[in-house]
Amino acid sequence: MTKARENAIADERWARAWRLLMVGLGVLILCSCQGPAQQFCAPGAGPPNAAAYPSPYPQLPESAYTGVPPVPPQAQAMVGPPGMEQGVPLPYQPTGPWTPPGIAGPWPQDEYLRDGGDRELPTRVSRDWEVFGLDLEDTVAHYDTLDGRTVVEPSNRVHIYAPRFAAVRKVSAVRADEQIGRAGGFHLATTLLGPTQALPVGVGTQNYQPVGGVAARPPVVFRSRQGDGVVSEALGAVGFHDGLLPFENLAVIRMGTFDEAEMPQLARGINAALAWSHDKAVQVIIDQKAAMGATADQTSPSVYTVGAPPGDPKLRVIKVASTPFAEPGDEVALTIRFDNVGNQVIGNVTIIDNLSPRLEYVADSAQCSLDAQFLTQPNEGDSLVIRCEVADPLEPGQGGVIRFRCRVR
Amino acid sequence: MMAVVALGWLVVAAPAAAQQPGVHYLHQGVMPPGAIGGRQLLRGGPLPGYFQPVEIKAPQGALVSLAVAGDFDRPKAAPRRAGFLIGQVYRMRVTNIHLHPGMEVFPTIEVIDRLYPPRGQETRFAIPVELTQEDLELALQGKFVTRVIYLEDPRRALPVAEDPQQQEWFEIGPGGDPLAAADALGRPVAILRMGARLPDAEGPDAQFLFGCPRFVQYPPRRVPPAAATPAEAAPAEAPPAAPPAAPGPGPGGAAPVAPEAGQP
Repeated sequence: MTKARENAIADERWARAWRLLMVGLGVLILCSCQGPAQQFCAPGAGPPNAAAYPSPYPQLPESAYTGVPPVPPQAQAMVGPPGMEQGVPLPYQPTGPWTPPGIAGPWPQDEYLRDGGDRELPTRVSRDWEVFGLDLEDTVAHYDTLDGRTVVEPSNRVHIYAPRFAAVRKVSAVRADEQIGRAGGFHLATTLLGPTQALPVGVGTQNYQPVGGVAARPPVVFRSRQGDGVVSEALGAVGFHDGLLPFENLAVIRMGTFDEAEMPQLARGINAALAWSHDKAVQVIIDQKAAMGATADQTSPSVYTVGAPPGDPKLRVIKVASTPFAEPGDEVALTIRFDNVGNQVIGNVTIIDNLSPRLEYVADSAQCSLDAQFLTQPNEGDSLVIRCEVADPLEPGQGGVIRFRCRVR
Repeated sequence: MMAVVALGWLVVAAPAAAQQPGVHYLHQGVMPPGAIGGRQLLRGGPLPGYFQPVEIKAPQGALVSLAVAGDFDRPKAAPRRAGFLIGQVYRMRVTNIHLHPGMEVFPTIEVIDRLYPPRGQETRFAIPVELTQEDLELALQGKFVTRVIYLEDPRRALPVAEDPQQQEWFEIGPGGDPLAAADALGRPVAILRMGARLPDAEGPDAQFLFGCPRFVQYPPRRVPPAAATPAEAAPAEAPPAAPPAAPGPGPGGAAPVAPEAGQP
């Protein structure tokens, strides 16, 4: 076998391997293109069998598979009868709100108003009680502990379905019976012109006709008109709808009754205090308060350890809204319940709610069950920051309710 | 070695490249009706077959007709509410325009995205499409008006109260793309085009009516949102008894019925 033949065989093998590699890459590229499965169905073939053709979206109608809805022979439009005797036909809705896989609700976020919590930058309070990191839609409470700390506790987040729409308009002129052809030539004076000479004025065609009064309006101009300020009195300042969010506890919010299951740490502290308050146990009184044992062995009465209970200040902040959905102009009542669920007194309790730009605070609607002072100041969203400063310190187990109303913009 | 690198790059980058952005960067507002919505359907999601409720508003006294079976149905006073399929183009006829008796305008509405309201609140939160008096007069003058209705981002929304009788809108100048501007401000959901199109003298043909796609008609809103208290509005918009989903060939069990009496 000659050297040239060996080279030819090697080249052929390399060429074959290269072709196989290219075919493999092509198959991989084609397989990587993602798209809805229904677009590959042949039109007119009808919806495939659900068992043989599983769909990621449950209970989609037939038109979802073909893309072209079947046209009934008798009519091309579904028009309701007068009076809607058979009920108003609702749009198609799959079982439960649809959300993309892996994304928790409520979704999509641009259709919901959110208020509460502490998103983005964590809120911090300086020694002179200046608040930093309070973002829009945040609701936090801060308080001072006996050891000199200032603790920030965020509330839960409330979601209200309240989409709002706007539009972008463009006005252009339409030309009829006109055709734009290629320029056949041009006249360009390349020599210097005398003072008495003048260039011929060309005629140009503009694609968009400037419309007086329309094009002169700059894009940033916003046209709006303030509403008539109708305030709903039927809702009531303290009224709640039945449709509260799942994580809300009506017993806690409305009646303020504490459940041990909701406060396991406080319950454990109470039980420990009761156990060591028995007459036969070691009695230690510090500052007129009974000390609690940290560790003990009931079976060996000769060994006891008595220590001061660790301070565990804790403020629970729960926020609820009166309705899960609202339209622009509607009023929403917001209620904040705060409770001292720790085991020591806390002071300078302050609840701050940075309202969303879509929520407008109804003046003089704020009220608190405790002696408190309400302050408001504008925020960066041209809404308000509502600040409620509770006058007296909160004993363990003590709490209060703040209520105010907002109008959806 | 190069093949291995290329293979690895494809495995890593192919899924990311296949994911399309949620905005219409590749589309323009001047695209023909139906093109943007049609491309939107290819992005996936529960869009095909969903009848998105739309509320068509017009000036006082104006009558709106929707295309049904090759012609326009009986004119009805605005606002009209109907459920439109996403990606389809719906031709309307607006008559009895104030100060322009006998004149007609033939706008089109293309729904390019849907809402995801809570169950039972679909018809309450319809997409508002406004035909203003100014837009109608511009269309009568021969201008072409394009309105891209978008859903505002609550965190970037203008902190002003909305007038229930008039939708907030921006104006962009010549050369601007309304779809791109709406994409920057929120999520475009519908496109209204008006003007520069008239039906043939013999009557509207199928091309002019875009095939008369199906729609679901809803009764008009009983109480304006601003005038109704929440306690009153809730029972008025309470979800009616939905028909069973199984027997109806239409989505959600909305059984198609015969057109109204007197319709062409």
